[in-house]
Amino acid sequence: MAAAASAARHGVQVALIDERTTFGGQIFKRLGPGFHLADPADLGNDYSRGAQLIEGIDHRLITLFNETLVLTIEGSTVITSHPRFGVRNFSFNNLIVAPGAYDRPVVFPGWTLPGVMTAGAVQTLVKTQQISPGRKILFAGSGPLALAFSAQLIKLGAPVYKVLESAPFPSPLSLARLALNVGGNLDLAADALRYQSILLKNRIPFLYRRIILKAEGDGRVESVTYGKVDRNWNLIPGSEVSESVDTLCIGYGFFPSHELLRLVDCSFSYDENKGGFTVDKDRWGQSSIEGIFAVGDGTGVTGSYSAVAQGSVAGLRIAHLQGKLSESDLERAARPFHRELAARNSFQKALNKVYSIKPGIYRLADKDTVICRCENIKKSEIDPIVESTDDLSVIKSYCRAGMGLCQGRNCQRQIAAMISEKHGKDLSEINFATPRFPVKPVEIGLIADPSIQEEKYFIT
Amino acid sequence: MINQSNPPFVREPFLKGYLSHEKNLSPLPKEVDVLIIGGGLLGASLSYYLAKEGVEVLLLERDEINREASGTNAGSFHFQIALHQLTPNMSDKEKSRLAAEVKLQVDAAKLWDNIEKELDADLGVFFDGGIMVAESQEEMRVLKDKEEIENSAGLESHILTGDEMRTFAPYLAPDLAGIAFCPREGHANPLLVTPTYAYRAMELGAQIRTGCAVLSVEANSSTGASHRFKVKTNRGEIYCHRIVNATGAWATDLSSQLGLNLPMGLSGLHVNVTEPREYFLKSMIQHIGRRLTLKQTHNNTFIIGGGWPSHPESYPKRYSNYWSSTTGNLAVALRVLPMLKDVKLLRTWTGVWAYTKDFKPILGESSKVPGYHVAMVPTGFTLGPMVSRMLAEYISADKPIHNIPQEFSVDREVLK
Repeated sequence: MAAAASAARHGVQVALIDERTTFGGQIFKRLGPGFHLADPADLGNDYSRGAQLIEGIDHRLITLFNETLVLTIEGSTVITSHPRFGVRNFSFNNLIVAPGAYDRPVVFPGWTLPGVMTAGAVQTLVKTQQISPGRKILFAGSGPLALAFSAQLIKLGAPVYKVLESAPFPSPLSLARLALNVGGNLDLAADALRYQSILLKNRIPFLYRRIILKAEGDGRVESVTYGKVDRNWNLIPGSEVSESVDTLCIGYGFFPSHELLRLVDCSFSYDENKGGFTVDKDRWGQSSIEGIFAVGDGTGVTGSYSAVAQGSVAGLRIAHLQGKLSESDLERAARPFHRELAARNSFQKALNKVYSIKPGIYRLADKDTVICRCENIKKSEIDPIVESTDDLSVIKSYCRAGMGLCQGRNCQRQIAAMISEKHGKDLSEINFATPRFPVKPVEIGLIADPSIQEEKYFIT
Repeated sequence: MINQSNPPFVREPFLKGYLSHEKNLSPLPKEVDVLIIGGGLLGASLSYYLAKEGVEVLLLERDEINREASGTNAGSFHFQIALHQLTPNMSDKEKSRLAAEVKLQVDAAKLWDNIEKELDADLGVFFDGGIMVAESQEEMRVLKDKEEIENSAGLESHILTGDEMRTFAPYLAPDLAGIAFCPREGHANPLLVTPTYAYRAMELGAQIRTGCAVLSVEANSSTGASHRFKVKTNRGEIYCHRIVNATGAWATDLSSQLGLNLPMGLSGLHVNVTEPREYFLKSMIQHIGRRLTLKQTHNNTFIIGGGWPSHPESYPKRYSNYWSSTTGNLAVALRVLPMLKDVKLLRTWTGVWAYTKDFKPILGESSKVPGYHVAMVPTGFTLGPMVSRMLAEYISADKPIHNIPQEFSVDREVLK
């Protein structure tokens, strides 16, 4: 939305495509139909920031296409489908891909039990439908997210009774480092303080150096076990604690949804703290492919404030590329955003000193744990193949892990970590399986096109 | 409409392990009797049949086993006459030529019949018959010719039309002109066949190295030399008596180093796979006039292919898919099987398809470079194991034998 608004404001014709029925994405999502908001403050800062952004896309040069699913990009055409209108192609001069992120799947015994939910899913339920998923919710996670989400959930009336954080209590040194970099991030710091006070006020215990170990129950989660961890998030034996709960909320950060960007074959780097593979881009957000820009958490998770700034910069750059903005005007208009991004970036780096994902997160599964939940493939079925190869595609083709509905979004990184552990390869060296369209499943009847004729064989 | 399926059924892993990573990456031996280059279906099955005969064999694969055409095809058996070979109003001579080929396919079917027993593994082999549909009266005439040729060659097939067709296959579009049903048609899982051959070959003593690329092959012309070939790889040199080039789409690269010119061409093949639905489609479906293969697998997904094009790339980049191949191919599938319209397309993929200009295999030893063999088959999945077995018999025979048809000759000239 930020990118569309910033480009349109400078005279660029924009088509804004979104898969959902309403705009706002995951962070700024609106209430479901039929729900009313008594006090916007209940939904926090995000709600009003979202309202501003949504206002910004109400522009004569922006055409909105919602319920429109991007299936693939071929050359300079984006191919989409709509549940009622079918396939629609968009030709572009410039493309901005802002695909967002999804909750980092954490594989541990019981992670597929009903009642085990990701923070994003719980948040959606609570925000848009005002339904709490349970009566006794344990929140297990790490990073600013664990704090923010658990506090937001409590504010919205979801009964979180305890929060587990895998990282240790921040050291004085790292707190000092955060304080030094807080310039330009006061909003984030204020958010954090507010969340902290919500937890304090509600007397919710916030335990450091704890990780979720397993969830158990007959048909749904009834109890969970967690334990103390060392610096690498490995369990300290003997520290296990079991408690009865009816809901377990998992929030260990996000993975970028970069399937489309992999499909167009732009170049990537690796940063575990930004969700793994991150898109290489210049300071305007242009990927390694000319004309294709990539912004927001879908290119490397850096949060919604940074995403808005990235989008604004990319929109300005495109206005310049299309001759609507001179070089000097571009620099001037972009300067505040570039400054903001620099500040966000250094704060993020300081934060990563406190909260960074450690390898222990990949060591929670046991032999009976289902790794690929779509195809129901257990760790014990994958292990022997990992013994024989360090190639993710080979493992996939041999045991079907990653071939199901989610196309590996949930299991590929876990399997990559198994390869990494077995063969001593760095996670950054282990590529996902070959990207292919459609990026998301789509009904055959929506896309089949009888007007396409193949080259005939010999029959005339 | 088709119901949403239950979760895919759980299979017992049929092999405890796969190949040994340590062994795959271990140093090369100094010398070997038979060196097979290329870890696809032909290379893996040939290793198996040779090892079974007690021949010393080393298989080299530059990447991983089964990564190219052997693993990217749609797994169909093509025992019926391939449609690109059929024309309206064929002469008797053409018909008898095709009948000879059908006999080869009948032999291949026998091998596939026994393969799961031979390799002691579940390879997703189905022999539930194949349906070839015709939309027009002209296509019906071709279908009838095909039936006549096939029956004369010992491959059973039946023509069904009208109510008979609708009763037999109620899921098909009711207004099709007719179908041919071949009870011997089937399919297997291409992701499992080659790795299993490789695994069983290894058990029988064949050596396998993956990640080992052949850089050059030199034939030793001096008489009395202890070895005919010196082969350079990225992991060192190796000497061998005999070489089998089983590099499929890349067979020309290696052969041209020895001055041989193979009559081959390359193309990309597009395949679609859907989400799983309740199992109902036992028979594979093809179209006599259009590009379509359609089947439901062990995992309840539908695999839809049939020879739509994809975008070629040079190794090691993977071929990429064309959107128009998906939408066109799916439209043909819906024309034949309209009830698929609500089923979701999950993924597409593509791989290289290597063909010969006369659609016959290239198989056997070159007369120009003794000791140098080629194994390449255009319908490689269907015929691969059978031609491998043929070549293994040839290589392992104590005395020279002539078991390979002359028309498969490595040295043949093919007019363009």
